[in-house]
Amino acid sequence: MSISNISRRDFLKTAGVATGGLVLSVALPVNALAEKGIMKDSGTSFNAFIHLADNGDTVIYCGRCEMGQGISTALPSAVADEMEADWQRVTVQQGDADEKYGPQATGGSASIRVMYQPMREAGATAKAMLIAAAAKVWKTSPDNCFAQSHFVINKTNQQKLSYGELASIAANMPIAEKPVLKKKSDFNYIGKELPRHDQGEVIVGKRIYGVDTKLPGLKYAAIVHCPVLGGSLKSLDKADALKVKGVSDIVEIPRFDIPFGSIGGVAVVADNSWTAQQAVKKLKIEWDLGENAIYNTKEYKQQLVANVEKPATLASERGDVDKAFKSAKHKIAATYTGGHLSHAPMEPNASVVWVQKDSCEVWASTQSPADIQKVLGQYLKREPKDIVVHVAMAGGAFGRKFKCDYVHEAAVISEKTGAPIQLIWSREEDMRTGYYHSINAQHIEASMDESGNVTGWLHRAAFPSIATLFNPSLERAPDDSLGEVTNHLFGVENFRAESGDAKAHTRIGWYRAVYAIFYGFAFGTFADELAYKSGKDSLSFVNQLFDNNPNKEQQEQIKRAKDILAVAADKSGWHNRSKLPKGQGIGLAVHYSFRSFVAMAVHVEVKGDDIKVLNVDCAIDCGQVLNLDGATAQMEGAVVMGMSLALSTEITFRDGAVVNSNFHDYPVMRITDMPNVRVHIPDSDENPTGLGEPGVAPFAPALSNAVFAASGKRYRDLPFKPLAV
Amino acid sequence: MKQSMIINGKEHEIDVDGDMPLLWFLRDELEFTGTKFGCGSGLCGACTVHVDGQAIRSCITPVSTLVDKKITTIEGLSEKGDHPLQKAWLNNKVPQCGYCQAGQIMNAASLLAVNAAPSEQEIETAMQGNICRCGTYQRIKKAIAEAADTLSKEA
Repeated sequence: MSISNISRRDFLKTAGVATGGLVLSVALPVNALAEKGIMKDSGTSFNAFIHLADNGDTVIYCGRCEMGQGISTALPSAVADEMEADWQRVTVQQGDADEKYGPQATGGSASIRVMYQPMREAGATAKAMLIAAAAKVWKTSPDNCFAQSHFVINKTNQQKLSYGELASIAANMPIAEKPVLKKKSDFNYIGKELPRHDQGEVIVGKRIYGVDTKLPGLKYAAIVHCPVLGGSLKSLDKADALKVKGVSDIVEIPRFDIPFGSIGGVAVVADNSWTAQQAVKKLKIEWDLGENAIYNTKEYKQQLVANVEKPATLASERGDVDKAFKSAKHKIAATYTGGHLSHAPMEPNASVVWVQKDSCEVWASTQSPADIQKVLGQYLKREPKDIVVHVAMAGGAFGRKFKCDYVHEAAVISEKTGAPIQLIWSREEDMRTGYYHSINAQHIEASMDESGNVTGWLHRAAFPSIATLFNPSLERAPDDSLGEVTNHLFGVENFRAESGDAKAHTRIGWYRAVYAIFYGFAFGTFADELAYKSGKDSLSFVNQLFDNNPNKEQQEQIKRAKDILAVAADKSGWHNRSKLPKGQGIGLAVHYSFRSFVAMAVHVEVKGDDIKVLNVDCAIDCGQVLNLDGATAQMEGAVVMGMSLALSTEITFRDGAVVNSNFHDYPVMRITDMPNVRVHIPDSDENPTGLGEPGVAPFAPALSNAVFAASGKRYRDLPFKPLAV
Repeated sequence: MKQSMIINGKEHEIDVDGDMPLLWFLRDELEFTGTKFGCGSGLCGACTVHVDGQAIRSCITPVSTLVDKKITTIEGLSEKGDHPLQKAWLNNKVPQCGYCQAGQIMNAASLLAVNAAPSEQEIETAMQGNICRCGTYQRIKKAIAEAADTLSKEA
């Protein structure tokens, strides 16, 4: 890592912050990023800015995108902790799209894993320079000084100098080569329950989201897309829409032939959003629906099931499954399915874009600001760096705002009308013409000996992959997308993974937790089914499955998985489950994803077909936690999202188009179904790993197992209770 | 004749089509952006404001029905952001993305105005029209109960 002092540069003026004082930028060595698989480009990238003004006010920039996961509190708090800054004096600002922040594409639960260490080093460097400055003033050695809460203190005479007083002097100090990081026992903020920096704005309605941007002369747009992927505009009659008072333009949006690009559509521009929304309904449009008009998810899912219940394409293999099956005492098979999911963040897709002759400025809720720069740069034939992207707070995202098709559309409208444009997708467009988590089927066959050891495991998965966005002709999910199956921590000597045919007929875009949603469900549920068959309890059986793994490289992971499962089980009352009233049961599941280990114990009451989730004990090992409250909140939220997808949410296609349209027929979980969630986070000194996504995976299998324990009924299809639409 | 409504104590002329839902009058015409668009059909509660103290969904309430009515939005719930619910929201660290929270708070304020000591079930029933995709329901319930407690001590 290298850190450069850029106090004398005046570029921060443009960011609207006070100048003067100390400004530090932090650069990660690119090979460190490359090693982590984060970045492939060469060159130096800056990742963080600390601006300490002469009055002591401190601004810490967050380069990663905020969508509610709390990253813009967590990362700056790590800087502040090492810097010995007083958090009350710190203001957090979201960085615009800029390669100086390093990778800003925010997904894969990677932010803290990748940025924790560099952020701490940035803070420690600033502290070392402030101490050096004080030592110079006092004509003493830096060793004779220490920093505490925005002051440097002289150990000999207890004199104090404030960070504000020292800022300009520190700016002239040499940069510490290897800043010393704090001991865990000295942390002020790391691992503590620091409130989010912005919650005071949220509760008074002053937090500005992508949908809230206002500019002088702003025009408002609404859009309609072809309901079937790959369809195109056949005819357009604008007359009635143009008659609506307040409508100024109707713009045809071309298709962007790139993976995350707009599929094209027709937009109405008006004086306000409501007028635009009314007028869009008056467009008379005929679509050529194209070849995906044959897509019906009911039949497609049946086809996926058929494709996994017969031999499929080999993805990976070890030992000899067929031989193991032949000599097996017990053989058991099951098929699991899941439907398409819509991310449905509360804030629909929204942005403001203003394309002018010499500039293009974007205000967007986004998870991928650099991609906006790249795509709009290509579209407008300008340099990506000339596309200014202000990263707005996203009102939820869950993977949807990684794909910024809605921003491309606003740019086209602005370019064609010359006005700054706010485009907000209606909830119906969001639900019907978005990206969808894969519909999927998995079939597992396993053999067991008389001691309940699993001797063979055949795992077939079929789902249209996100890779189809890059290569639409793909017939099935590529081998590497079965990696979580091949590398699963369960120990099975004879193993084979196969990929079943699954062409895509819509745009696939991962939902929070990605593959772990369906792999976690199949592994976690099937293990419980095997346990029942073997006559063992689920906890002992799963532990035995882990213990049977001879792979030396996975032993540490196995220990952590078993330990976290034990926590969830112990906290839930698993060991006293025989005393539960009739109709109640506890189910367990543990899943490793995004390099974290999450276990859940779900306690349900089942009456007939009615499933009531009473308690959820959720335990996570994600290494060192940066913000304990934020981590807890992520787990609580993951339970709720897991509940929605386990019980009720599914996107249905008929004749190529999505049938669902809004929250009445895409019934996400509401407060009336909220169980009592207890989050358990054992202290850990391991490196921090993923938090945003891994909590979603274990809920559905733990629920299936709990319902089975309570009632003997086994649910193998997500969602358990689909709404007829 | 000019028609108007009172928003957060201030009179605003209704100078738009009477069919325009209050949500868009607030957001696009007056730039009160604290009230959020979520579904446009009264299904999610993100747009909740008060009309004469009662929670309504502003996305399906035409301005023509609000002549001379008193509207309160999240920006006007309290002068200093110190309504007991707002304090309880901070204390329980409720928001994640925060997008739905204005609607949640406004809906809860309307509940507490008519039922100062709601049971857990009454809280759930009153709040079931407000969706939070981040999943902050547990903290919402706790915060409402805490605010009710504060109010009962003040009374």
